[in-house]
Amino acid sequence: MIRAAAAVLALTAAASLPGPGAADAPLPVPADTCADADWAAAARDRSLAPHLGLPPLIHPPDNPPTAEKIALGRKLFFDRRLSINGTMSCAMCHVPEQGFANRELATAVGVEGRSNRRNAPTLINVGHLDPLFHDGRDHALETQFVAPLVARNEMANPSAGRVVAALNGMPDYRPLFDRAFGAPASLDRIGMALGAYQRSLTVGDSAFDRWRFGGDAGALDTAAQRGFALFTGRADCASCHTVGAADALFTDQGFHDTGYGRMREAQRQAPPPTLTVEVAPGVVHEVDFDIVRAVAAPRFADLGRYEVTEDPADRWLFRTPSLRNVGLTPPYMHDGALGTLDDVLDFYNRGGGGHPDQDPRIRPLGLTDRDLRDLKAFLASLTSAGIDCLVAEARRHRPDNP
Amino acid sequence: MNRREFGGLAAGALAMGLPLRAFADETCQSPYMPKITGQEEFVYVWTLGVEGMGDAQDKLVTIDLRPGSDTRGEVIHTVSVGGRNEAHHGGFSADRRYFWTGGLDTNRIFIFDVHSDPAAPKLHKTIDTFVKDSGGVVGPHTFFALPGSMMITGLSNDDDHGGRTALVEYNNDGDYVATYWMPTAADMQGAEAVDGAVADGYGYDIRALIRKNVMLTSSFTGWSNYMMDFGQMLQDPEAMKRFGNTMVQWDLHTRQPRKVFNVPGAPLEVRFPWGPNANYAFSTTALTSQLWLIYEDDAGEWQAKAVADIGNPADIPLPVDISIAADDQTLWINSFMDGKTRLFDISDPHNPFQIYEKTIDRQVNMVSQSWDGARVYFTSSLLAKWDKKGEDDVQYLKAYTWNGTELIEDFAVDFYAQNLGRAHIMRFGSSALYTS
Repeated sequence: MIRAAAAVLALTAAASLPGPGAADAPLPVPADTCADADWAAAARDRSLAPHLGLPPLIHPPDNPPTAEKIALGRKLFFDRRLSINGTMSCAMCHVPEQGFANRELATAVGVEGRSNRRNAPTLINVGHLDPLFHDGRDHALETQFVAPLVARNEMANPSAGRVVAALNGMPDYRPLFDRAFGAPASLDRIGMALGAYQRSLTVGDSAFDRWRFGGDAGALDTAAQRGFALFTGRADCASCHTVGAADALFTDQGFHDTGYGRMREAQRQAPPPTLTVEVAPGVVHEVDFDIVRAVAAPRFADLGRYEVTEDPADRWLFRTPSLRNVGLTPPYMHDGALGTLDDVLDFYNRGGGGHPDQDPRIRPLGLTDRDLRDLKAFLASLTSAGIDCLVAEARRHRPDNP
Repeated sequence: MNRREFGGLAAGALAMGLPLRAFADETCQSPYMPKITGQEEFVYVWTLGVEGMGDAQDKLVTIDLRPGSDTRGEVIHTVSVGGRNEAHHGGFSADRRYFWTGGLDTNRIFIFDVHSDPAAPKLHKTIDTFVKDSGGVVGPHTFFALPGSMMITGLSNDDDHGGRTALVEYNNDGDYVATYWMPTAADMQGAEAVDGAVADGYGYDIRALIRKNVMLTSSFTGWSNYMMDFGQMLQDPEAMKRFGNTMVQWDLHTRQPRKVFNVPGAPLEVRFPWGPNANYAFSTTALTSQLWLIYEDDAGEWQAKAVADIGNPADIPLPVDISIAADDQTLWINSFMDGKTRLFDISDPHNPFQIYEKTIDRQVNMVSQSWDGARVYFTSSLLAKWDKKGEDDVQYLKAYTWNGTELIEDFAVDFYAQNLGRAHIMRFGSSALYTS
């Protein structure tokens, strides 16, 4: 209960905090809130325990969680030495205090400021996702990390082997690998440690979970209950953001064309003549797009799932994200171009991108303002208790970044 | 100080021999260091390496400025430091024997020996532990010399690459001394928020007025933004929210923040004038294109107010570097997007007005002037990912003479044609500094 109250407090306080960087951010969580010297053991136990509202977490048979692997994985996660020039770690895009995502950027920025096309997704409950990434290009946490390590616009290592060799040359890692695996660093062991740590970022127990699966009729207020009725009924959100009888991941793990990808590509190809830019709080200019173009590197189309399968039928399909803790992880959509949940609800209420070939379930919904408020209240009820503990564990030790 | 008083002071300094010590420097640097009151002999340009160009590394470029030299106006020396570190700003130590430069991306600090051979600086020391030393500060920016130490402003932090940051002090040997975090709304550290200012904790530049024990800092943005493609950022409303909107007044000696001023739109460079009774400073806001005055009022309280627009703010001309004349009468203001330099009459600091403008090129960033204001130098690069793209991405150092009414081009060095990279901050050198 204390944890739940802390999480609610953090969200409430964040909403009222002005100033850059703080407008939407949860308050920093002190490391002594719920993480002590045995934090890694607690994280291991959490990844093995049932969570209200979530199905059982499946660990790979060859990578059962241990406190030692989780401790090592956490350290790797925050270590900027794993990038070519020591500037990027996993945590620089998946910021604990920002819902293990990045609220300050629509699309991620990698080594030397190189642009990514996509928004960094939250890692909370990532252990339940298969496939991974917006385009589903990997299926296991034990292997997915390799691509960011060597992608030029992420961590930009010239090879994965360089990272392995570098880790084996760092005295601070030798005992950690020994304790976790009884062996030095290898690509497999790095993946297992990162996978074990990320699977420890598992939390259920939202207000919705307590109401729907926990038998607590008072856990959800009436607005959120009305929102849930819309979610599963007239608004038809649940046909992709699925809700089961015993648990709910709020994702069908599938790929869909909501018209959003096509819409964004059309905007990329034919930008409006002016761009609205808020240069300071309350100071807004309509800037000639030629000014923007002068300082903008070319952006490329994002074809979504097609980039994995090369099947033309997969163009503009993107993975259904889970909606758990969605209130913690603005901005939204695969490219982060919608800043608020209101923007997202408006997009779907209008019928998505409006392309004739988009998924027919995406259609004008005719939701009223009250309906939209109710849906938003429901989405806010999906924030789990205990995320403050994940943050506290993440910050239990400072990284060894030079 | 009026122009006549200034002229007498400068003439006296020249009569005593170079350089003048004790209270001044060529217009924009730490008042603790000796300055070049006569002819600058070299200009050092901290230059960003460009992938696929030359050795692709950041380097310190030395250009000969000696009148009569066979190589005047030419690159006579370079020192590459390895990697692309987002070379940006730098500053001399108080004894002006070493030039400290920073990499905003990799957090490396390169200290060059400029006194052993001012025509050929050499890398003296590299600090690779800035983040760990400082307890998580990222992006070493301004290097402001204090007696025996170097105060460095950070731009970002190791937790989230956002804008929360700190001042970091090292001694002249390059050993870490202390970190002073910027005040935030959640932790004001005893500072007062003036007129509802919200302390954002961001940082950028630093300057001090010693006799008033006042230190001022400004605020920019974090790693994620300053490393990001500029056009991408303008189209990212979330990123655009992450700019500093404050300046902070500090107690210079105790390093304690005293006041937080509301200066919206990313106030960048801070410049104090030199006059003995001039109790004010200027700054410009990059995004809102305003000239700001931070001044001591009749009651002895420091205040901040906007005193002029720079170009048409709606066009986002993006004021960048500024340079105050040593006689406190004029201020050069560069604006990156339109490639212009503008000269403002600041003889009445509360009512400055533009008196001249000239397009330097398709983009312009830094401006440095000689102590007498007769020579003005410009370079081109703002940040690697903010510079213009394609043919507009011109990279240069251009030298002009200023005759009081007109900038007349003297020479130019094309940094791309010479495979050097992006030209950023300039600092002057002279062998006269090291001879008795």
